[in-house]
Amino acid sequence: MSNEKQVDSGRRGLLVATCAAGGVVGLSATGAFVSTFQPSERAKAGGAPVEVDISTLKPGEMTTAEWRGKPVWILKRTPEMMASLKATQSEVADPDSAKPYTMPLPEYCEKQSRARKEHEDVLIAVGICSHLGCSPSKKFTPGAQPSLPDNWAGGFLCPCHGSTFDLSGRVFKNKPAPQNLDVPRHMYISDTKIVIGKDEKGEA
Amino acid sequence: MAFVEKKLPADAPVIDKALNWVDSRFPLTKLWNDQWGQYYAPKNFNFWYIFGSLAMLVLVIQIVTGIFLVMNYKPDAGLAFTSVEFIMREVPWGWLIRYMHSTGASAFFIIIYLHMARALMYGSYRKPRELVWLFGFAIFLCLMAEAFFGYLLPWGQMSYWGAQVIVNLFGAIPVIGPDLSLWIRGDYVVSDATLNRFFSFHVIAIPLVLLGLVVAHLIALHEVGSNNPDGIEIKENLDANGHPVDGVPSHPYYTFHDIFGVTVFLILFSAVVFFAPEMGGYFLESNNFIPADSLKTPLHIAPTWYFTPFYSILRATTSDFLYIVQAGIAAYVVLIYLKSSLPALIKAAIAGIGLVMIVGMMPFGLDAKFWGVVLFGSSVMILAGMPWLDQSPVKSIRYRPDWHKIVLVVFGITFMTLGYLGVQPPSPTRNLIAQVSAVLYFAFFLLMPWWSAMGTFKPVPKRVTFKPH
Amino acid sequence: MKFIKTIIATLVLLPALALAGEGYPLDHAPDRSNNMAALQNGAKLFVNYCLNCHAAASMRYSRLADLGLTEDQIRANLLLSGDKVGDLMTRTLSVKDAKAWFGVSPPDLSVIARAKASESGTGPDWLYTYLRSYYKDDTRPTGWNNMVFPNVGMPHVLWELQGVRGAEFEEVEDENDHSKKTLEFKKFTTITPGKLTAAEYDSNVADLVAYLNWMGEPEQSTRKRLGVWVLIWLSLLSVLAWRLNASYWKEVK
Repeated sequence: MSNEKQVDSGRRGLLVATCAAGGVVGLSATGAFVSTFQPSERAKAGGAPVEVDISTLKPGEMTTAEWRGKPVWILKRTPEMMASLKATQSEVADPDSAKPYTMPLPEYCEKQSRARKEHEDVLIAVGICSHLGCSPSKKFTPGAQPSLPDNWAGGFLCPCHGSTFDLSGRVFKNKPAPQNLDVPRHMYISDTKIVIGKDEKGEA
Repeated sequence: MAFVEKKLPADAPVIDKALNWVDSRFPLTKLWNDQWGQYYAPKNFNFWYIFGSLAMLVLVIQIVTGIFLVMNYKPDAGLAFTSVEFIMREVPWGWLIRYMHSTGASAFFIIIYLHMARALMYGSYRKPRELVWLFGFAIFLCLMAEAFFGYLLPWGQMSYWGAQVIVNLFGAIPVIGPDLSLWIRGDYVVSDATLNRFFSFHVIAIPLVLLGLVVAHLIALHEVGSNNPDGIEIKENLDANGHPVDGVPSHPYYTFHDIFGVTVFLILFSAVVFFAPEMGGYFLESNNFIPADSLKTPLHIAPTWYFTPFYSILRATTSDFLYIVQAGIAAYVVLIYLKSSLPALIKAAIAGIGLVMIVGMMPFGLDAKFWGVVLFGSSVMILAGMPWLDQSPVKSIRYRPDWHKIVLVVFGITFMTLGYLGVQPPSPTRNLIAQVSAVLYFAFFLLMPWWSAMGTFKPVPKRVTFKPH
Repeated sequence: MKFIKTIIATLVLLPALALAGEGYPLDHAPDRSNNMAALQNGAKLFVNYCLNCHAAASMRYSRLADLGLTEDQIRANLLLSGDKVGDLMTRTLSVKDAKAWFGVSPPDLSVIARAKASESGTGPDWLYTYLRSYYKDDTRPTGWNNMVFPNVGMPHVLWELQGVRGAEFEEVEDENDHSKKTLEFKKFTTITPGKLTAAEYDSNVADLVAYLNWMGEPEQSTRKRLGVWVLIWLSLLSVLAWRLNASYWKEVK
């Protein structure tokens, strides 16, 4: 009787040990296979930071760069455009960007201009509407226009479902889009050269 | 019959209740018991009996690694080669998946050849297991096709030219040959069209057929029960409970036995994957690291090692060799008439086929290229005839005359010689050895009805040879 | 069974009797696969001498970090102009121009070290010998010929380092057909010395070949390191599985 118990406990010990050792093998193999889903080197290289030269960008002009497959707008705002931001402050849903879309507003960006203090007139924003992902069109001319209110001071209009954004990329109240446009991490390597997707803390 | 669900006591564990629910609607426990849990297998299985389980394991490895490879592989003539290097370098752990798949392919064939060797030694193909053997033979054919189609996918020089040569073999068939080759390729030479359809065959068509055949193979086996090294039918000796006295339930005995076998296999497999994935150019050929070039044929085109035994026979069939073959066929027909007890109609049919072949091999008939293909195909197909070629009164080599062992060993050496010659470039000496080996190879099978019944057989014991351990 | 095992053992050894590879004998490439300095030097030689005509389109510059280089070092020393660190090592030479200039498009070198393996030696052995076997031959369009790759379309790119050498041949009887004569290679001769001594040149070529070998499979060293642990763990597992199996089978009479 005691012999059986010995056999049993010996066998159970071996069973547990074998299962544990085998489990390690299984988990390691599974881990390797599942990891193959992670972004490849090609995808990561494609997602690397992008340098943009804005030396030829005149006030009121906007250029688009591509970063991680998305359009990134760089808009050199005129003094009138900057002034409009005070007016829209009370008309936008989230003036301080407290509830971001996919990226929190970088700490070095001011709340109203959503840009770095040293270059407050330059807006850098991802041109993807926070509703369902269409790319809004620029509507910089002030005044009444179709789909825009009479006191329109300039900004962006999304053609898909009519969401509007001010000249800092902040969404107006009561629009389909719930959040402001994303502002990616960025830094200035000179007054006219911006790197998108990288800042002092490293790569995004 | 009305639906009946067994009622378990209210305090029964949840897992038991769940199993009960399923069992009332799906024969889960019954399947488990019939196919494994209570499947009584002979207790005297030796080392040679691990290869069936290993084959199943490698099939799973190939399918799983294959699924992950297809996520990044591009079946396009312009992108395929680079996509494989992409997997090797840029997909996290891609190199491991690729090496597992390439090593698995060669491992599969080593295992299958050893699995078949077991059958040869112990007479596992004999009645009532002929169907197990035939399903297995069909699996072997599918496996060769699967490997052939898969090898084109990396789109290296060997991939391309190997495919070109083999598809051109079909061109040797009289009348329909060239059109057949064109139809298989989908183009005048192996090209993107060929690559795409081979991709489809390799990834889904043949795997589905393979899975079906493996299920059939196992069902057929479980229906009649496994053979064993002594060749004794264990079902002929049952105990009071109706179980074979020489059997043990597969669970737990063969569950843990096979788990051990699997761990040993994994050591060998991992040693190759991590330390020698190219295996000296046999598992991953160096020429295949050169992208396919339709204008430049490599100096030595050889099929991958697992095809070489049969390929050797193809190459050995020169026009001179055809005279030997004709003589052999003639002698065989004479032997059939003088020394066999087949029905007269069958004898006449064999004589008729023999005559057609002899005439066809004449210089004015079909060329050696065609007959090479015929012999190549026959060397594979003849395996299917084993259950009927073997006329020994005894299943296992253990109770056959000792000289039968020599015959089997000579066959094994012949098979490996043919394989070795197949990876070497041809030379007059090697050709001669290949021809001698080809004759020996066919003689083993074709003369088996006679030699397998000759000699003094040993008495077959009633109980299996088993040492408790 | 023992009989069968002996036969199998003998057969496994038979391939060792395989005929030795024919052709120009290959030297053994020094193994510098674990020498970071050598690999970095090889990378530099590769980018400077090879990447103009050859591409290595499966190799990403950023992977050079595995050789102990920082992104800035790669950017400063190893990028061809216009390329970014995240780019693949492609080339600007078009296939059409290449064929026009060399007769054949210089092949991609991503896996060249794996492609050149044969019975005569490993891929690195071939490359190491090839790059040190050029000789001056005015009958060739490039003015160069090579003992390992006769009538090769590639010129001796490293000639300034090695110097210009000639090859001396002797007419001997053909060993297969005594009525014919063939040219047998006797030795190399120095025509003009190069910037490096013979030993320095050999060492640099060894570095370059080590780099090509690394580039052919950057994962090599990780694979082997991992393999040691995998085998140790699986051995442990197999011992456990063996004893576990034995614990059941001892009940079987």
